[in-house]
Amino acid sequence: MKRTRLVAATAASTITLAMALTACASDDTEAPADSEETTSESGEVEPGDLTLWVAGGDTPDELREYLVDTFEAENEGSTLTIEEQDWGDLVTKLTTSLPDAENTPDVVELGNTQAPTFTNAGAFREISPELYEELGGDNLLQSFVEAGSVDGTVYALPYYFGSRYMFYRADIWSDAGIEVPTTLAEFGDAVTELRTDDMSGFALGGQDWRNGISWVFANGGELAVKEGEEWVSTLSDENTIAGLEQWQDVYEGASNVPATERDVAYWDFLNDKAEGGAPDAATIMAPGWARWSIGDLTENDEGEEVRDGMADDSKFDIFALPGVDGGVAPVFAGGSNMAVSAQSQHPELSENLLRIIYSDEYQTMLAENGLGPANTEFNSIMETDKFGEITVETAENSKLTPAAPGWAAVEGASVYEELFQKIAEGGDVTELAAEYDETITPMLNGQAG
Amino acid sequence: MSAVAADTVAPTATTPQRTPLRRRRVRPGKVLLSVLGLALAAVWVFPVYWMMNSAVTPDAILGGDTPQFLPLSFTLTNLQSVLTDSGFLNALGMSLMVTGLTITLVLAFAFLAALAISRWRFRGRTSFILAVLFIQMLPAEGLFIAQYQMMSSLGLLNQVIGISALYVAMLVPFTVWMLRGFVAGVPIELEEAAMVDGLSRPRAFLRITFPLLAPGLIASGVYAFLQAWNEFTTALVILPAESAQTLPIWLRSFLSASANRGINWAEVMAASTLIAVPVIIFFLFVQGRMTSGLVSGAVKG
Amino acid sequence: MTQAIGTTAGSDGIAIRRRRRPATPYVLLIPAVAALLIGLGYPVYWQIVTSLQEFGLMQQFGAPPTFVGLDNYARIFTDAEVWSVVAKSIAFCLVNALLTVGIGLGLAVLMRAVSGWVRITMQITLLLAWATPLVAAVTVFRWLFDYRTGVVNWIFVQSGFESFDGYNWLGNVWTFFMVASFIVIWMSVPFVALSIYAGLTQVSEEVLEAARIDGAGSRQILWRIIMPLVRPVIAIVLLLQIIWDLRVFAQIRLLQDAGAPIAETNLLGNYIYELGVGSQDFAGAAAVSLFVLVLTMVLSGPYVRYLMKEDAA
Repeated sequence: MKRTRLVAATAASTITLAMALTACASDDTEAPADSEETTSESGEVEPGDLTLWVAGGDTPDELREYLVDTFEAENEGSTLTIEEQDWGDLVTKLTTSLPDAENTPDVVELGNTQAPTFTNAGAFREISPELYEELGGDNLLQSFVEAGSVDGTVYALPYYFGSRYMFYRADIWSDAGIEVPTTLAEFGDAVTELRTDDMSGFALGGQDWRNGISWVFANGGELAVKEGEEWVSTLSDENTIAGLEQWQDVYEGASNVPATERDVAYWDFLNDKAEGGAPDAATIMAPGWARWSIGDLTENDEGEEVRDGMADDSKFDIFALPGVDGGVAPVFAGGSNMAVSAQSQHPELSENLLRIIYSDEYQTMLAENGLGPANTEFNSIMETDKFGEITVETAENSKLTPAAPGWAAVEGASVYEELFQKIAEGGDVTELAAEYDETITPMLNGQAG
Repeated sequence: MSAVAADTVAPTATTPQRTPLRRRRVRPGKVLLSVLGLALAAVWVFPVYWMMNSAVTPDAILGGDTPQFLPLSFTLTNLQSVLTDSGFLNALGMSLMVTGLTITLVLAFAFLAALAISRWRFRGRTSFILAVLFIQMLPAEGLFIAQYQMMSSLGLLNQVIGISALYVAMLVPFTVWMLRGFVAGVPIELEEAAMVDGLSRPRAFLRITFPLLAPGLIASGVYAFLQAWNEFTTALVILPAESAQTLPIWLRSFLSASANRGINWAEVMAASTLIAVPVIIFFLFVQGRMTSGLVSGAVKG
Repeated sequence: MTQAIGTTAGSDGIAIRRRRRPATPYVLLIPAVAALLIGLGYPVYWQIVTSLQEFGLMQQFGAPPTFVGLDNYARIFTDAEVWSVVAKSIAFCLVNALLTVGIGLGLAVLMRAVSGWVRITMQITLLLAWATPLVAAVTVFRWLFDYRTGVVNWIFVQSGFESFDGYNWLGNVWTFFMVASFIVIWMSVPFVALSIYAGLTQVSEEVLEAARIDGAGSRQILWRIIMPLVRPVIAIVLLLQIIWDLRVFAQIRLLQDAGAPIAETNLLGNYIYELGVGSQDFAGAAAVSLFVLVLTMVLSGPYVRYLMKEDAA
């Protein structure tokens, strides 16, 4: 997965762009910043240079090329530049660039957990009800739509979802005589039994709360709820505590990964080591695309050494995290939203780009590439193999983090990382929950400090 | 290697009394000291060596349980795959331009200011020196929003000029402070003597004083170069476009992209090596003069 | 003729310049002052104003900020976390600055004591360390101390300390700061060592020889003759290290990226960054920044006064 760098805008063209913008501004000084697109007399949308920010490397090259080609073909004279932003710096860049009319990206992808904060701050342009219907309406993944809405007005749409499920070493599990578990408690026992000094039964970093909150959700707990107008952190809720304690047991019993690890590339843990011996883990939890980093080594068409994508299913297999009473546990739905900057100088072109993103063709491409499509009608495309089936199955049971205005601040300050690390280190869950409720509640409501 | 050695000897040879002295007093303790010196040198160079060694070793071998301390499985594939990453050359060009413009302006501005405060006593001089010192104490991490707004309203985002202006402001204080010592170290009498011989003041300055200051300018320039080359937090905010990335930003995104797939340490080390190489080349170029620069600057503090 | 030129030179000379108030020095300062004003003027002004307002993400996106006076300052002064970060930063800064200057001094004295090629080897290695860009250096150290594949753990295990197998250096606050200190010291010792060494080479051999003839031992020579002579260099280098080490930011942030307890390992720079850009409390971040500035000025005050006195002398 080589990163595309569509370096269309060199320093020179940036200058041209700046000059074009200045020219624009002097031409229609009357036009307020959020006015409708400056349209030429024939009613056509004036061409412009559109910028789309994608976050991280999750959107494959093929899809990016499709967007550029299609957009530029359908909007003659306009160009589309796709810039990839690092997840770690995304909030910083959104904070500085979105309010800036001259340099704002026109369309941005952002994490579904970041969407409420920026939506509440007024960073995005409203998606009109007509456009919303045109782009898929109620077929769009509703939990993500809610994350991007304020008081019934939609600002940010779902882009894709990924849900997490378990990847495991079938050979190691069956050698140990352990069956795929059917309840969450059985899962904990199984991975604890599998753990050795050199191999985690279940590889899990202590700070990795995005995987960890599945235990909270599975036990019927919530991180925060809205009471009236205010958001309240509910870590001390008995269901939440039960989930956190169960997670603590699993971490302590089954994982060799340090309590300070987060965002670990777990997939590597399942592969055979170069020098032989047991892999680092018998089980991991990861988004579906992790598959392509797991498997035996093989050579691709270009002669590069790559993983075979778990071709040998007697060795590598998957299952959904089971619920407390069987079934499928609600897991954290990873994924992202897509929105038009309120300051965009090309709102109509931006909407044209959205039309391409939410077109049948593009939704199909998302699904074929293992990214959960925004439009749920296309889920069936994914369900052609066990990976797609399990993605849809877990996604149907997945949950999002609270859509509180201060959520990005909580994430930005790494509060949950800290909490989960302390729990992983064996802290008293009830005490920690009370302590962090006090920290988190004011942050959720966007109050500083 | 031998060229470097010759350069390094040059400044030390300026204290000629030392050689005969050393011959007279050969003490057994000296051998111990040499061993200690070499051991410390080895400790200091190890991270650099490890970086370069890993850069030319296949990743599969680096991932093994036993580290390989010698480049026995030498390969250039890591370096090649970094160089073919379209971002690298672009970022290299950007870094060279930003650093070049920054050190030129910093040296020019700081030199004039250093001249003012070391040759003249004037009202406001102490305040200026104090301001220069205190400005360095301001935490830069709170300034990003304002810096962004300013550069954006001037239309200088993603531009070499914009980021360089911020770097110049960041580096002028220390450079003034450092150059002050060098300027004070050149006796004004030399310049005056040249004027007695019929040169005008500007010419006397250019012919006599300026050459004596060159090592000092180089030593200060090296400092400014390193700071500008390494800076990454301001660059992150002021150069948001991918096409305007400088090398540190590029390396960081290279690192985090790699982290997504389980870090390919070999490629990351190859990328780090490639970023370090221009600096090392620059250092080897100016190294002899820089050491003598530090010598003359040091006396006056 | 000679007389005439002499007069011209004299009227331009230092003695006269002090008495009159010539325009030249002010003209010479213009570019530097202008550069500072352009680069820092508006940002510093913004910071002062923002620290007196309620300024969060809403305000960043155009909501008018409200003036709240000194509320933000009151808020940070009563926040125990701020004080803990301040204490940690000062401790980190002093330990690192003193160690850096101490090691640098030791290396400089050693370089003077050893013979040619050993000294050259030492100088080259110091230059290589100095030349390594920060992001590259942190990356290398991250890997050296990596808990799974790092060389440091491997060496410990090979030397019989089995407990270091998989030891996570960045996971504990103390070992985290230890690794951070290694990086900071490793990167800053070259500048210090080479500067002090340069100063040492200026101590004339005749002076030392005379001292030896008078029966001074090498320890006495070091403390009574060499040290006083290089004291000004050490003083400046130490001040600069203190200023720089109090502002450590990138090293910590890049190390935190590797997985570390975050809040506990934050130093002032990181705390400000996280408060501002991370939690969108821009007003609080501005207030902490200005507080740090004042704090540094107060802490370094006596030292600066001493330096200014030396300067005037």
